[in-house]
Amino acid sequence: MLLTLDLNDARPLHEQVAGAIRRAIGEGSYRPGDRLPPARDLAGALGINSNTVLRALRELRDEGLLEFRRGRGVSVAGRADGRALLVQRARELLEEGKRYGYSRDDLITILEGLT
Amino acid sequence: MIPRAVAAVWWLAVTTVLVLSTFAVRDRLPDPMATHWSGSLPDGSNSLTGHLITSTAIWAVLGVGLVASAARAQARRVPRMTWWSMLFGMGTLLIGAQVSTLAANLDVPEWTAATLPGWHIPAVLAGMLAVMGLAAVLAKGEPDEPSPGNLEPPVLKLRSGQRAVWVGRVVNRKITWAVVAAFAVTVLMAVSGLRGQGQSLVSAILPGAIILLLVGLATMAVSVRVGDGVIRIGFGPFGWPARHIKLSAVESAWAEERSPAETGGWGFRGLPGAATIMLRGGECLVLRYRSGGQLAISIDDAERGAALINALIAERAQT
Repeated sequence: MLLTLDLNDARPLHEQVAGAIRRAIGEGSYRPGDRLPPARDLAGALGINSNTVLRALRELRDEGLLEFRRGRGVSVAGRADGRALLVQRARELLEEGKRYGYSRDDLITILEGLT
Repeated sequence: MIPRAVAAVWWLAVTTVLVLSTFAVRDRLPDPMATHWSGSLPDGSNSLTGHLITSTAIWAVLGVGLVASAARAQARRVPRMTWWSMLFGMGTLLIGAQVSTLAANLDVPEWTAATLPGWHIPAVLAGMLAVMGLAAVLAKGEPDEPSPGNLEPPVLKLRSGQRAVWVGRVVNRKITWAVVAAFAVTVLMAVSGLRGQGQSLVSAILPGAIILLLVGLATMAVSVRVGDGVIRIGFGPFGWPARHIKLSAVESAWAEERSPAETGGWGFRGLPGAATIMLRGGECLVLRYRSGGQLAISIDDAERGAALINALIAERAQT
């Protein structure tokens, strides 16, 4: 599972981790039924506390993306929620726009220009 | 098609030799005849028919296995050499064993009188090894084509200010069950050993069970982490012990399909310059070191891992 975190992201870490996992699933690296690496491995790789990863995983479970099963660990329950994924992409777009000096309204204009 | 046809013809030829040689000297053999020796004295016997059935059955099982794996074994050099040397080596071994058995039984009144000259077994083994070596040399053929991933390693674009890590994992269910069984046996033996029951059985089984348990634990699961300039390969369900490979020592990485038949089986497999950690057939992450060697690890989602490794290597090269 490939996870990317933005070092300049101001959101709480667990939200960022949830976003990274949602993106990894949305990109098709994991299909419904596939098991995720253990939270301990993910936390170790990211260099953060296991509880932060667990919190992110619980958020994604509440979203319906993941499924917790006793003895079987965490697996993907369904396709990534389209809206959640879009919100996330839009947020990333917003930040990228900011980097290039485009405001929110500029981006809306760009979007409206696309048919 | 050709290897399979050669295998079929060779199988029939060996079977014919096994059967005809026995019938040719049938009148000069005792029935039952000696079929097993300890040292040079016979300690096991079988009827003529029984012996013939046993040796052809062994050859039939080997033949089925060889014919079934014929097509798959040809693509790469190591499996190809192994396959051809097994085909001719095993046939030679069976013919040698048959000739030796018949020679020892020839013209003796009772099977208990059939002594086996000491040079027979070394001669048969030497013959087998010579044939295997010859077959391997003849089957050497062209060197393996570099895998496509090797030519075009997967890449990934990293943005600045982004931290990327990859975690891959693979678990072998069969080995997991073997570990559970070995653990049960170990506990059982340890408990009965502490209670002072069946000491001889405990001392015979306990060390083996502990070794099986440790080896099984190390090979039931593998996890790989990429990030922070290091590739960390953790063995076993707890990811420990672990091996760390610095990214600076790696030249490139790619994903490739490999099967245990190619690497020589499951577990930790080493051939010079091409070590493999093989827990299951299929997708493997292959690393090429700057020193020229390769390391392959059977792991899920290997392509993304390889892409990240290549991206991190490229990033290091820039800075």
